[in-house]
Amino acid sequence: MQTKGIWLAGVLVVLFLAAVPDTSRGITVPDTVILNTQSKLYEPFTFNHAKHIQLTKECSNCHHHTTGTLVQDPNCVRCHRNSSETQEVSCKGCHQTDSFSATAMHEKDPKTYHKDKPSLKAAMHRNCLGCHENMKGPMGCQDCHQRTKEGDAFYYSGAYAPKNKPSKGEHNGH
Amino acid sequence: MKKLIASGAITVNSPQKSSDRKWTFMEKLFLGLTLPQYIGQALRNPFNWIIAIIFAVGIPIILGRFIFGLSWVTHSSNDYPWGLFLAFGLFGMVPLSSSGFLLGTACEVFGRHDLEPIERLGLLNGLLGYFFAVVFLLIDLGQPWRLPFPMVVSFGPAAVLFLVAWHVSTYLSVQIAEVSVSFFEWIGFPIGVRAIRKITLGLTVSGIILSTLHQGALGALFTYAPGKVHPLWYSSSFQWIHFFVSSIPGGLCMVITVSTIASKTMSWRFDQRFKDSLDRVTVSLAKGASMGLATYLTIKLMSIAHDNKWAYLTTGYGQWYLVEIMIGVIIPMTLFAYAIHHKKLPIIRFSALLVVLGIFLNRLNTALITFNWKLSEREIPHWREVAICVTVYTIYIVVYRFILYRLPIFYQWKTQEQYALAYAAKPETTILKDTEPALVFASKTEAKAFRNAETITS
Amino acid sequence: MKRRDFLKGCLIGGAAASLGAPSKSWAVGSFEGYPDAMGVLVDTTRCIGCRSCEAACNKEQKLPEPDVPFDDTSVFEEKRRTTEKAYTVVNRYETNDGQKPPYRKMQCNHCNEPGCLTSCFVNAYTKTKEGAVIYNGNVCVGCKTCMVACPFNIPAYSYSSAFDPLIKKCIFCYHTRLKFGKPPACVEICPQEALTFGLRSDLIKMGHERIRETPDRYIDHIYGEKEMGGTSWLYLSRVPDDQIGLDTTLGNEPVISNVKDFLGMVPMVLTIWPALFSGIHLLATRNKDHGDEHHNHSEQEDGKK
Ligand code: SF4
Ligand code: SF4
Ligand code: SF4
Repeated sequence: MQTKGIWLAGVLVVLFLAAVPDTSRGITVPDTVILNTQSKLYEPFTFNHAKHIQLTKECSNCHHHTTGTLVQDPNCVRCHRNSSETQEVSCKGCHQTDSFSATAMHEKDPKTYHKDKPSLKAAMHRNCLGCHENMKGPMGCQDCHQRTKEGDAFYYSGAYAPKNKPSKGEHNGH
Repeated sequence: MKKLIASGAITVNSPQKSSDRKWTFMEKLFLGLTLPQYIGQALRNPFNWIIAIIFAVGIPIILGRFIFGLSWVTHSSNDYPWGLFLAFGLFGMVPLSSSGFLLGTACEVFGRHDLEPIERLGLLNGLLGYFFAVVFLLIDLGQPWRLPFPMVVSFGPAAVLFLVAWHVSTYLSVQIAEVSVSFFEWIGFPIGVRAIRKITLGLTVSGIILSTLHQGALGALFTYAPGKVHPLWYSSSFQWIHFFVSSIPGGLCMVITVSTIASKTMSWRFDQRFKDSLDRVTVSLAKGASMGLATYLTIKLMSIAHDNKWAYLTTGYGQWYLVEIMIGVIIPMTLFAYAIHHKKLPIIRFSALLVVLGIFLNRLNTALITFNWKLSEREIPHWREVAICVTVYTIYIVVYRFILYRLPIFYQWKTQEQYALAYAAKPETTILKDTEPALVFASKTEAKAFRNAETITS
Repeated sequence: MKRRDFLKGCLIGGAAASLGAPSKSWAVGSFEGYPDAMGVLVDTTRCIGCRSCEAACNKEQKLPEPDVPFDDTSVFEEKRRTTEKAYTVVNRYETNDGQKPPYRKMQCNHCNEPGCLTSCFVNAYTKTKEGAVIYNGNVCVGCKTCMVACPFNIPAYSYSSAFDPLIKKCIFCYHTRLKFGKPPACVEICPQEALTFGLRSDLIKMGHERIRETPDRYIDHIYGEKEMGGTSWLYLSRVPDDQIGLDTTLGNEPVISNVKDFLGMVPMVLTIWPALFSGIHLLATRNKDHGDEHHNHSEQEDGKK
């Protein structure tokens, strides 16, 4: 019931994550996934799914409670000990892109623990970076996604780096 | 100036230059001297040269502050929003200006007529102190042209500063009214004199109210920053009492100090009444100041005991705190006790100076030196900030001197009738001064003779 | 004649004094914050120090070019604070437990009872019902008391401007976002969702829930839940709060509680002093002159001439 609501929302929302074909779920496992298609600041990039499957072996490391493994997180277990595998496999199916919009906040059910469910962007970053840190994977932003020109301007970096050196002693507030 | 008087120049102390001619305004302005004489005496005074140098450096910097902004003259520190201007100029000068309401109260409310000779100095000291505190404030404010905003545009009545703004501005007007008596006498506007006299008591009482509140309010301003002011200088329940009580000896000692400097540099301006009473009055003021200091010391200790802050005394800040208390409170208190008993006036005057310095030190400590004690970086004022402070303080001294030279502060203004009377009764009432030989100075006109006569009839 | 003058004088004095008497009452210490106030839960255990929030704030608030690029991590070498050019800064803190150093974003905490607001004598600050503490530069005189009064050292001043210097601080993106129910720019960009936007009351529950679910990850405290009367921005931390630069000595009383002693005394002085001192005056002068006030007065006048 709960799952269905989120699934619907996932469909309604403009999507961030593009590639997993819903219909073929469980049958085909994609070797690559194009990620980050909506960002203006960073380029989309190809995620090597196959390589990650090799490295981690266990699907549930990323796809918690969706791919046939039982729920493992002790917090989830409290309610979901006997829950069956969920329909949704792709991240975007549950994690919204705009979790702080007025509508999204309105739809969050205050009575469940799911209220604190991270947005799609946060879910992916936390999942990826958390593991990369333990596995000594790449950690820098541009190790995964190249910054766009607009991104350079936004961060005042690259071609847009500040030219005039700050005058010492001023504006630093100390 | 002394030399000129010795050589026969006379001082303006009544509307009449001679029995048939009044002083013109210009003559009053030039102290009754001719223009060359006036310029001559000004140039001979080495102090004026020092002032000129300070102004030559300082005034362009003050202008620069308004053209280039605050970051040009200060370190524009976000952690120390109140720099030297406020710590020294506002928090330091206001307590030293409490003399206006103290002497006003003593004379007008408590009927201490024995203090009257110095009442006007007290009032003037109050007025100028406040006025220049406001000048410092204007320099420090980001948008000084908006200073009237809290009165007319937008109100923040729960803010302590709102009280300060209202009280200082109303109190400034009260003080202007109080001091204007001297001014009205000097320009010859008796209606004004009488009008103010009628409301003197009302002015004095409102002065007490306003002073109590805003002297305290300046202290209460620091209760906004409980974590930033060092605990030894902070007390949430006593802060305003500390500031108020310390302003009492502060104001009195400032008057002693000013009158001491004046008696060294402009005794020609004193009339006999002032000269005769100065020592006696100084002792009375010193008594008042020592009572104030004793109270202050007690509540200082009380607030340390109240919040159990003894442990802080052993830290570096604690020793600095003790230095401040020694200079500003304990040493002068001891000296006062000794000197009042033995009528040792130089010692009284010296310890009054100590108290004045002690008050400055206390306010600087609270607002600047120990402020943000938890942060690692200490604020060292920019040299231009220091230069501006010195310059404004010099302007303060110059204005102070300008007024003391002219208005009836150290002497009593004679009305036309008194002048005539004094002249008629000259043989009996003449009190010979040490400048008496001036009398024999050759005089060309009759008017000159009158003027000489006048000099010695004071 | 004299008595009338005396009364007149007192009236004038009293009127002058009462002009300064504020009529607003000082409600103190009881305000719990607006029920619909929004807030942000800053989970410092999630922050990776990417400084994207700084960049987003710079853009959203149209702030000037920074001194160094927003992806430059050399800024973590020193502790920075908010300035006129940066409404929010992220600092890195060294801890001695051998784990990776935590980062903390700092900006205005949007207090329930803001010190800045309390201290402002032209009422330039407003606490909106959405929880933001916003600032009206049109009335600001530049006294900088709010900077002194802010317990978190947040407001900065544009000292560099000669003709229109103003207070610069985070305004919770009120005018462009919060007012329309949208999350602030910094929250929206954060890749880690170290910043969670929501009703303050929900965030507190959420914070406690996170602590309960993963007690190893957090100390059992939400900084800002009670501190200084409570703030709209709240912090979760793995290490004790003082190790990530949060002042733990502030206590839970809002700034206004410190000032109320003095403010409470003001009406007393205004009402008691005039009567008291006029009374003393009558006594003092009556004693001396055996009740002949008029005589005394003229003597006083003579003394002054
Ligand atoms: S954090 Fe400081 S500036 Fe922000 S609302 Fe609180 S007191 Fe005001
Ligand atoms: S809430 Fe808005 S103004 Fe405040 S730090 Fe975030 S982006 Fe900047
Ligand atoms: S954007 Fe988020 S993760 Fe990045 S520095 Fe800011 S709070 Fe930390």
